[in-house]
Amino acid sequence: MKKTLTSAATVRVAFVSLVSLGMLVPMYLLVVNAFKSQQEILANPFSPSFGTATFQYLTDAWNNPDFSILKGYGVTIALVLCVNALAMAVCAPAAYVLARTSKPISRLLLFFFIAGMFIPTQVILVPVIFVLRGIGLMGTLPGLILFMTATTIPFTLFVFFGYIRVLPRSLDEAAAIDGAGRYRTLWRIILPLMRPIVATVFILNSLSVWNDFASPQMILGPGSGVYTVTTGVYAAVGQYSTDYTKVFPTLLLAVIPILVIFVVMQRHIMSGLAAGAVKG
Amino acid sequence: MERTSVSKPRAWRDLGARVSMVVPAVLVYVALLVVPVIYAIYYSFTEYNGFPHRVPEFIGLDNYRTMFGSDDITGTMVVTAVVAVVGAVAVNLAALGLALLLQRTNRFNTFGRVVMFYPHVLSALVVGFLWQAILGPQGVVNTMLEKVGTDSLPFLSDPDWALWSMILVIVWSLFGVQLILYLAGLQAVPADLLEAARIDGASPWQTFRAVTWPSLASTVTVAVITSGISLLKTYDVVVSLTGSGPAGSTKTLAYSILAVSFPQRDIGLASAQAVLLIVAAAVLAITVLVLRRRAEDDAESIG
Repeated sequence: MKKTLTSAATVRVAFVSLVSLGMLVPMYLLVVNAFKSQQEILANPFSPSFGTATFQYLTDAWNNPDFSILKGYGVTIALVLCVNALAMAVCAPAAYVLARTSKPISRLLLFFFIAGMFIPTQVILVPVIFVLRGIGLMGTLPGLILFMTATTIPFTLFVFFGYIRVLPRSLDEAAAIDGAGRYRTLWRIILPLMRPIVATVFILNSLSVWNDFASPQMILGPGSGVYTVTTGVYAAVGQYSTDYTKVFPTLLLAVIPILVIFVVMQRHIMSGLAAGAVKG
Repeated sequence: MERTSVSKPRAWRDLGARVSMVVPAVLVYVALLVVPVIYAIYYSFTEYNGFPHRVPEFIGLDNYRTMFGSDDITGTMVVTAVVAVVGAVAVNLAALGLALLLQRTNRFNTFGRVVMFYPHVLSALVVGFLWQAILGPQGVVNTMLEKVGTDSLPFLSDPDWALWSMILVIVWSLFGVQLILYLAGLQAVPADLLEAARIDGASPWQTFRAVTWPSLASTVTVAVITSGISLLKTYDVVVSLTGSGPAGSTKTLAYSILAVSFPQRDIGLASAQAVLLIVAAAVLAITVLVLRRRAEDDAESIG
């Protein structure tokens, strides 16, 4: 049985199509203009240039002497992996203990951690610089990793806590009777069950670390010579923002990896986001 | 096998294990998030240029007086408030509206959701540069306008226009997240209530008011708080889209802290501005939570 579209449905489909088109226009412009010369961009920004398209500008952006985008990918990926590993290594045990201890002190600790979600992290970067200087990690990747880990702790711990709390306590008791200590129980029983929530947290933390600009800009600084994708884009595009043959190709190279990952994993990313938020 | 009740040394060992499992998280969190907040509060009462050998000099509320007395900074407060309030309203309206339209799961709607969400995976810095190339004086839109013989529009070069352009860009890049939250929330609306409303002959609007909206309460809270806090710290997009100009019309507090007060080595003032933002975020969160609590109480007293 085929349903005919009612007029309301037609309007809805048309409206959503229009909005979708509007959302995609900037990306279309980015792709199309990455292959054109400045004159072509200024003359015909909207039309693709099949006849005169050239990879020259993309190659130039790739070989930019100020900023190696390949290194930028490397640094950023290393950052994403380290922050995730560290955040989970400290949050999983803590969330496990807090979820299994119903003493006032554990409620208090949980509240103390959750309060961190309301701190606009970018604005405390100035005092963070002094703290990092005090422990000798200012201007270094370990310092940046530590700070980014700290900013992900409230969310990670909160979501882990919510997840572990629903896992039956009888699992722990069975493990304890078999002689397993807390660490062994966490590692062998709880963590394997946490796979879905670990995936969710990994995806969300990765997105925020990949996209962060303020923290690497302030903590690494231009002096360190280490660029993430965002600080590298800033160095490469910042002062040449009217030279579109630099702007479009550099931006395209910066967004390709994350867009490819998004398109491949979109279902997991979006359902993960929904799950992460609803858990609260 | 020892199967009797837990022995003393074993209980102690277990307590030790539990403490050691919590301590690393507490250490990292306290050292790099809580201590900086305390430092921000402390520095906000001092005059300090950040040089290691200089001791911050206590000056009481002077930084706060400077902050509220300076037209420049009160201007950035207004800009920040406008961005946060208008942005949060626009983001949530767009997200909720589209969530209602994309609620049913089919291929077309799934595609629509992906398209609405994708800007979120781009960094705000890139988004700003991209839109600058589109809206700038030499940008794509103005080139097209000139081609068809119309005057160009001052999206980013006129103080009034620039703020609204920036908010538009932020909404474009942000509402996808809230859309996903609302879609998840809509799944939890009880189907039997919707069915009952339909049978009773309620109009779509009545159904929304009486059934959907109340069931979405907790989703709305989460969506408003998260979007509000992320808007309060708007920084990246200012750097890349407008550079806080023209004439400071898009200068947010976060930009003022990181790109003005800090480079000028005015650590005390930067800290006072940071404290103001932290307080604003806390007030926002508490207000939304209290309003929701009260709405729930009202709903219960009616029910």
